[in-house]
Amino acid sequence: MIVTGEITLPAPRETVFGVLQNAPFFASCVEGVRDLKEIDATHYDAVLDTKIAYLKFSFKVSVEVTRLSPPDRIEAKIEGAPLGIVGRLTAVSTTDLIEVGDETLVKYAIDATITGKLGSMGQPVLKSKAKEMEQKFAEKMRAAFAGPLLPGASGVAS
Amino acid sequence: MTPFELAEPATIKEAVDLLDPDDASVRPLGGGTALMLMMKAGVFRPTRLVSLRKITALSRIAATPDGCLAIGALTPLSDVERSAEVASRAGVIVRTMRQLSNVRVRNVATVGGCLAHGDPHMDLPPVLMALDADIRVVGCSGERTLKVENLFAGYYETVLKRDEIITELRIPDQGERRAAYLKCTTGSADDWPALGVAVSFEADGATIRAPRVVVSAATEKAIRLKGAEEVLSGATVDAPLLTRAGDAAADEAETVSDVRGSAPYKRELVRVYMRRAVRQAFENAFDGQVRGAAY
Amino acid sequence: MATATITTGPSGSQIGRSLPRLEGREKVTGRAEYTHNLRLPGMLYGKVFRSTAAHGRIKSIDASAAKAVPGVYRVVTSEDVIKVIPHPYYGPAFHDQPILAIGKVHYVGEPVAVVLAEDPHVAENAAALIVAEYEELPAVYDEVEAAQNKILVHDELKPAGTFADLKHLKGVKGTNIALDYQLRKGDVDKAFAEAAHVFEHEFRTQKVLHLPFEPFVSIADYKSNRLTLYTASQGPSFVRIEIARLLGWPENRVRIKVPFLGGGYGAKLYIKLEALVTALSMIAKRPVKVALPMEEVFYTITRHPMTFRIKSGVDRDGRITARRCEVFWNGGAYADVGPRVAQKSGFTASGPYDIENVSIDSYALYTNQPPAGALRGFGVPQLVWAYESHTDMMARALRTDPLGFRRRNITREGGKHTTGTPLKDAPVEKVLEHVAARMNWDKPLDRGTGTIRRGRGLAIAIKAVISPTTSVAIVNVNADGSTTLYCGTIDMGQGSDTAMAQMVGEILNIPAESVNVVPRDTDVTPYDMGTLGSRSLFHMGHAVKQAAEEARDKILALARDLGLPEATNYSVADLFQKKYGMQAGNIVGTGIYKPDYVPPQPGTGLTPNVTPFWMVSGVGAEVEVDTETGHVRITRLINVCDIGRPINPKICESQISGASLMQLGFTMFEKMHFDGGQVTNASLADYKIPGLHDLPVIFENETIDAYQANGPFGGKGVGEVATFCVSPAIGNAIDDAVGVRLTELPLNPEAVLRALWAKEKRPLEEA
Repeated sequence: MIVTGEITLPAPRETVFGVLQNAPFFASCVEGVRDLKEIDATHYDAVLDTKIAYLKFSFKVSVEVTRLSPPDRIEAKIEGAPLGIVGRLTAVSTTDLIEVGDETLVKYAIDATITGKLGSMGQPVLKSKAKEMEQKFAEKMRAAFAGPLLPGASGVAS
Repeated sequence: MTPFELAEPATIKEAVDLLDPDDASVRPLGGGTALMLMMKAGVFRPTRLVSLRKITALSRIAATPDGCLAIGALTPLSDVERSAEVASRAGVIVRTMRQLSNVRVRNVATVGGCLAHGDPHMDLPPVLMALDADIRVVGCSGERTLKVENLFAGYYETVLKRDEIITELRIPDQGERRAAYLKCTTGSADDWPALGVAVSFEADGATIRAPRVVVSAATEKAIRLKGAEEVLSGATVDAPLLTRAGDAAADEAETVSDVRGSAPYKRELVRVYMRRAVRQAFENAFDGQVRGAAY
Repeated sequence: MATATITTGPSGSQIGRSLPRLEGREKVTGRAEYTHNLRLPGMLYGKVFRSTAAHGRIKSIDASAAKAVPGVYRVVTSEDVIKVIPHPYYGPAFHDQPILAIGKVHYVGEPVAVVLAEDPHVAENAAALIVAEYEELPAVYDEVEAAQNKILVHDELKPAGTFADLKHLKGVKGTNIALDYQLRKGDVDKAFAEAAHVFEHEFRTQKVLHLPFEPFVSIADYKSNRLTLYTASQGPSFVRIEIARLLGWPENRVRIKVPFLGGGYGAKLYIKLEALVTALSMIAKRPVKVALPMEEVFYTITRHPMTFRIKSGVDRDGRITARRCEVFWNGGAYADVGPRVAQKSGFTASGPYDIENVSIDSYALYTNQPPAGALRGFGVPQLVWAYESHTDMMARALRTDPLGFRRRNITREGGKHTTGTPLKDAPVEKVLEHVAARMNWDKPLDRGTGTIRRGRGLAIAIKAVISPTTSVAIVNVNADGSTTLYCGTIDMGQGSDTAMAQMVGEILNIPAESVNVVPRDTDVTPYDMGTLGSRSLFHMGHAVKQAAEEARDKILALARDLGLPEATNYSVADLFQKKYGMQAGNIVGTGIYKPDYVPPQPGTGLTPNVTPFWMVSGVGAEVEVDTETGHVRITRLINVCDIGRPINPKICESQISGASLMQLGFTMFEKMHFDGGQVTNASLADYKIPGLHDLPVIFENETIDAYQANGPFGGKGVGEVATFCVSPAIGNAIDDAVGVRLTELPLNPEAVLRALWAKEKRPLEEA
């Protein structure tokens, strides 16, 4: 299952890159992420709560930032397991930042596989959910860049 | 399957009181054909199921004084299929029933359940949307009426609150409107549809008035295609019109890929089946046995 | 009660009788015994925890949460298994499959641990709480990619040692190839060089599965020196031998009991859950039952996907002079019987054609998918899909009639098969002509107009039976003359009990319905190689016939001993009474059958006797294609089969129609979908099989008038023969209708529409 998307953000590429590599901020833009723990500069643990209709699932996930090449590319690997049901989530995400005038085009692609009980059924439901999460993520990102305060942005800018 | 509590209230009020607005593991239970699959698969583990079976007031079919057809939410689909009242007022529903799942499921599954489940592959919801049907919903905060068209929020998702149950379906007087539902399967004949198309309109000679066009199964939820409706509205039925309507529908429907077909393929199915559904409703020559492989 | 009289002789009253199945009433009234219904005192239920990685090293298995669930008896992993069975690997061809994963997992769905509890729901809930961590390794899913040996599924090969042609693979490292079967006849390269036309095509088949409506189920009851297994198995003798080997026990301490089966189709052969429940019962010291839900059937055994590269040379007269076949079988993570499929079906890959120069390479491959095994046809339906599509493509390219092209090239009665084995009672020509006549092939077809186009196609095929294999039977005549048959053939719905009883009745001159066919129990019923590959009616039929004949001869001898004249009207009961002075005694007849066989020469694969009988069938199909949606409606399907003399015509007909419909599902829509090694449609909601509404509009199932000279009563097997030709006949008909050639199954509407659009040079975009 591959989910792709792009957002144009009204900020220079360096600024956007700085914001994106700020894990707590990034996580706050993904709906349902809680308990983010930084293991080291490139490793994080978190819990992802998601709801599909009346079905609720929690995933314990660990994120590894596998490539951080400023100012234009971030790659990460995500692994996790749903709690209380046999399954496994593995995903590889790549994010490219492209300068478009004063703005930055963020293009991302997530290649995710879900195995176990959740993977054996309801792929379209999961895809639909992933798309919905992707859209909410884009909205939150846009909202954050429209607002006055951007964590991480100042650090890079200075 | 985990043990759970099964409540069997006798009245709507008791049923609503047994539901819990804050707990997703408490669910109303109609025929159970869909919920049981979720439970056997282990993805849904209820703590309490509120069976509505004992609420006999919810399984009646009757004409109302204002010309509507009222169907209780707990009415089994096979009762609807065999109802003379339904046949005379909305024959398209009877014809749809004959290709809906199988007789074992129809004997158990309920009208309300196939709406509340929010599965886009259900055959009845698009038909009800095309007929501009309403549902009555009762919850802790009282009763409300909702158009079926506005019920679905996404894949398996509806706008119903957790303490709400559907009590009744109302289909307005169809007058001289014509309607058709086409189900397209790409696997076995009794598979879930890859696409459902429901249409209804008034025919003023060869002119179409007040069309309602709905697609399901190929999309994340059953949805009206207003672009196609615009094309049809006030137009004269001929081959170019059908082509334009099909193209408009194909442009508008956001089809999704699954084991029953890729999104681009389903888009083409929408294009073809839209044409066929309008023609069929117009010609009113439907024999009730149209399937994917039969045309 | 029916009793035999001693006026025995050929009665002719039982063979050819359409007797309803003996167990039919019991089954339709819900009284028949199945393993699923069986409970033993003190029994525990096991729930399997399965791998979520396609290929990986097991880093850890944390079962603490599962163990803490009230009611959980214990959680078992391979560490526990090794303590009771030190070398817990099994399999018919390779000892490669562990009872529970050891160190590594090789596919998504592989059993890793088991939770035991008295309540199956407790076991199920607890299993969901186990957490396993894997170090993921690269995985290979495709058979052609696997043949390149870049990603290796197993570190080393472990052939079982019982098969001579696998011995050279022992301990071999660095390969996914579990068998490389070869056949070489004539000089293929020279013939290609001299050919007027050379055609080369590649075909593929998808992954499908058997899907018997009774999922896998086994119960083990281990006592210190005795093991009893109750299991839904098609091969209890094999199970006994293999379990005894795992335990290091003599066969007589292991007992396998098999009640009725709710279908098998090849899924329930060899070891499935039997070794697992044995280990669990040894560990728990209590009876243990494991019954899989339908979802887990998708992780247990499937049919081989296949890639077939076929190349043929044709001379100026339209004679095929050379053929090269390269067949890649996707065997999944464990070999099961895959190497036998690769060989025993592989040697028929060039089809029922008389070709002077043939080269066949057939490879059984390991991949990181659920294992593949035998499925109704043993690989032949996949092969025929390829070679009969290829036949039509050549005929089309040569602008010749596909029927005429076949007539010119088939092997005729008295000729030799590619292996060098003579074709006896293999009426290829007769079947082909029967199909052609029933299709009115010489008359034009209404080709349709507008968006509905019609076409027709045919196909023909041949299969050998697996050889050499052995069957043993016992017929016991009781003191009242009533008769009991002991035979290990499993009646899984194919009606074998009825057919065997008819054979006993024929010899002993009693009604078949009076014969008691005892339930399968290895403590009671003698050896049989297995109910598979259409072998039972022929092999077990011979054994049963012999046993009944021996019993009859003993009855006649007894009459002579008692001084009775020939053709006395004494009943058999009277004989016993006279002999023993009371109702006492038995007469026991035994039969054992193993056909002659000459092993293929290493290297060339040639042999004068590869099989005791051939199976030949043909199919004619007429279709309507909706050019707007790609839907194919099968307006007519004619199956024509050679089954020798039908022992029970009604049952034979339902075997033919059932096999054909099953293959119709594999042809038109069935497909296991995968994502990252995970089956994504592992349920009957998303994996559909044909129902009554999928029947062809006209569906005809016919047998040709035939007699298998070396078969029991002229009969032979019928379970598979109607599966062979369905796919290519329909594929050929689609091409005939709309001019598009599909080379991969299934022929679903999207595939047809995509091909139509590609032909119009406006390809539909991918998803």
